Amino acid sequence: MLQFSKFFAVRAMLAILTLVMVSFIVFTLMELVPGDCAERYVAFKNSQGSVITPEDIQIERVRLGLDQPYVQRWGSWIINAFQGEYGNSCILRVDIAQLLGQKFWLSLGLCLSALLLAYLIAIPVGIIAATSKNAVLNNSLRLVSYLGLALPNFLLALMIMLFSTVYFGDSLTGLFSKEYRDAAWSTDRVMDFLGHAWLPIFILGWSATAFAIQTVRALMSDEIGKLYVTAAAARGVSGRRLLMRYPARHALSPIINSVGFDLNRIFNELPIVALILTLTEAGSLLIEALARSNDQQLAGAIIFMLTASIVALNFVTDIILALTDPRIRRSIVG
Amino acid sequence: MTNITNTASSTNQQLKEAYFTASQGQLIWQRFKRNKSALAGAWVLIILILSGIFSPFLTPYDATIAGRDKGYLNGAPQVPSFCDDNGCSIRPFVYTYERSRSFKTNFRWVSEEKVELEDRRYLTFFSRGMEYTFLGIKFDRHLFGVDKGMVHIFGTDSTGKDIYSRTLTAINTSMAVGTIGVLIAFFLALVIGGVSGYYGGKIDSVLQMVTDTVRTIPNIPLFMALAAFIPDTWSSEERFFFISLVLGLIGWTTLARRIRTHLLSERNQEYVLAAQLCGASPSHVIRRHLLPSFTSYIIVDLVISFPYMILSETALSFIGLGLKDPVNSLGVMLQNVTSADVLLNYQWYFIPVIFFIVLVLAFVFVGDGLRDAADPYADTNK
Repeated sequence: MLQFSKFFAVRAMLAILTLVMVSFIVFTLMELVPGDCAERYVAFKNSQGSVITPEDIQIERVRLGLDQPYVQRWGSWIINAFQGEYGNSCILRVDIAQLLGQKFWLSLGLCLSALLLAYLIAIPVGIIAATSKNAVLNNSLRLVSYLGLALPNFLLALMIMLFSTVYFGDSLTGLFSKEYRDAAWSTDRVMDFLGHAWLPIFILGWSATAFAIQTVRALMSDEIGKLYVTAAAARGVSGRRLLMRYPARHALSPIINSVGFDLNRIFNELPIVALILTLTEAGSLLIEALARSNDQQLAGAIIFMLTASIVALNFVTDIILALTDPRIRRSIVG
Repeated sequence: MTNITNTASSTNQQLKEAYFTASQGQLIWQRFKRNKSALAGAWVLIILILSGIFSPFLTPYDATIAGRDKGYLNGAPQVPSFCDDNGCSIRPFVYTYERSRSFKTNFRWVSEEKVELEDRRYLTFFSRGMEYTFLGIKFDRHLFGVDKGMVHIFGTDSTGKDIYSRTLTAINTSMAVGTIGVLIAFFLALVIGGVSGYYGGKIDSVLQMVTDTVRTIPNIPLFMALAAFIPDTWSSEERFFFISLVLGLIGWTTLARRIRTHLLSERNQEYVLAAQLCGASPSHVIRRHLLPSFTSYIIVDLVISFPYMILSETALSFIGLGLKDPVNSLGVMLQNVTSADVLLNYQWYFIPVIFFIVLVLAFVFVGDGLRDAADPYADTNK
């Protein structure tokens, strides 16, 4: 137990340290964008007709705290970020936490469902592929997983959307029907959401599934050839019992380990899929912030939150691994 | 009888000797050759890359606005044929085309091939056409052309640019972006992974933290954030280099990790100690002693990371943060298919998509084959 709490503490520390470094990278990126919030705000005022002098910009800078040294601003940004406060977007002039709020959780929900879908498909299919000697099955699975890479999700999304628009007259886009878009959460709204969400979940999960099948298959076929499996078979264990009790258990821990990277992969696709399917969630806000309005505050907050959820997931999988595998508990950092 | 067994055993001996004295690269090549799908992928890849490189010669027209065909906007592909009602000819030919609109086309302007049996336009080979510079020398010969008017075997886009010419040029651009990106990533990986693996200890821990952090941030959003720096005023060349730079700046982590792992296991070998005792500097030891021991694996890793670079470039260009329309890259070509109008009326816009998928697939096949071939335990496992 002591060992485990030590492991837990070290991992938690590492996770927080990673987040601090991520925040540094993100914050630096935000700073590097030409022009700062004060200039933008004042430029906006200028466009409203008031006359602006350099002093006004300076006053605005002081008001926003932009005159303080870099490290200090980073420090206050990250302290706020850990509390879920990201300040105001300087283009939209609304509180970012409020703007993102629900949208971010929607996105996270979509991505986690896609991840779940990927593993629900990949684990059984991967095990079957590793154990079966059927060449046709193996080769076709291989081709599917190659296509998972070569046919990027955005292309897939585009094709499905275009085909359904042309042949079914329904574009399958968006996350809500019109009447539910701004409604409060209710059973009907949830049902409506689920009716729309299956397509983005499927598309986001597409290449993750292909990758996961590859991983599961490779790990299983490595384990199946090992001596302990032969020994178990010699003792008379066979069929599904043999697979589940011996190689599958060993193949499990690297798979749990890779879940974080799969979430990373899904996040990669999120903004582009969101753009095509016109989803109204964090992914499309990110594109909006980066490609159109150059809103670095908003973009930084989104990237930070995405990364934070990956770090959190990595932390959780580490803990799960430690719970299931005593060898990992002992190694503390490794 | 004894003679025969003797020669048999001696060839066997020779084979064994060849096996044990073969270099890393030769061994990998031996194993790679056995993998049929990877070999097929390699051929496809070579053909695609060559057609990209020689695109100015292989394509009849300039891929930029200079090569546009004003009379054939959004025109369907013209398929060269050998026979029609007027009989056959050895040389393939196409017909003329015209722009029209009528009730039948919902009053939309449509460019169509017009079958006029009398007006055959024969394809010419090694014909003179627009001038282009290749390797610093001016040429005006193209693989094929047509004796009257213009020929568009993949059709044209909304400004009348030849899609066939654009596709081949796009392969070239995307490969160039990928190559520069991979080279930058390679350099960074070599320095960071090399230092981290060679020194180990605290330096290693710190560098690993950095690597892991960069790995944790989702790539595409990070690409997007970096690409958002590009001011609108930049020329397409500047954009091109910046995008390649961005791809390289983020893509180094996996390779750096591999180099580090390898160096960590190699650095305690006796030959390294010997070199150090002779007074060799760390950079000399890394460059001349450690890296050559796994050059082939590095090459394999580079090939594997290539399709990711191309995919990232397409993703960036696709959302409008990467390369933009006057430049022909696969991402730009993909961006052009994003409207229902294209799917309904101009399906030939999808031809570059096929090239894109085939290119990435070929890379994946080759990369996978190389990875299997580079695995030193591949033989013992089977």
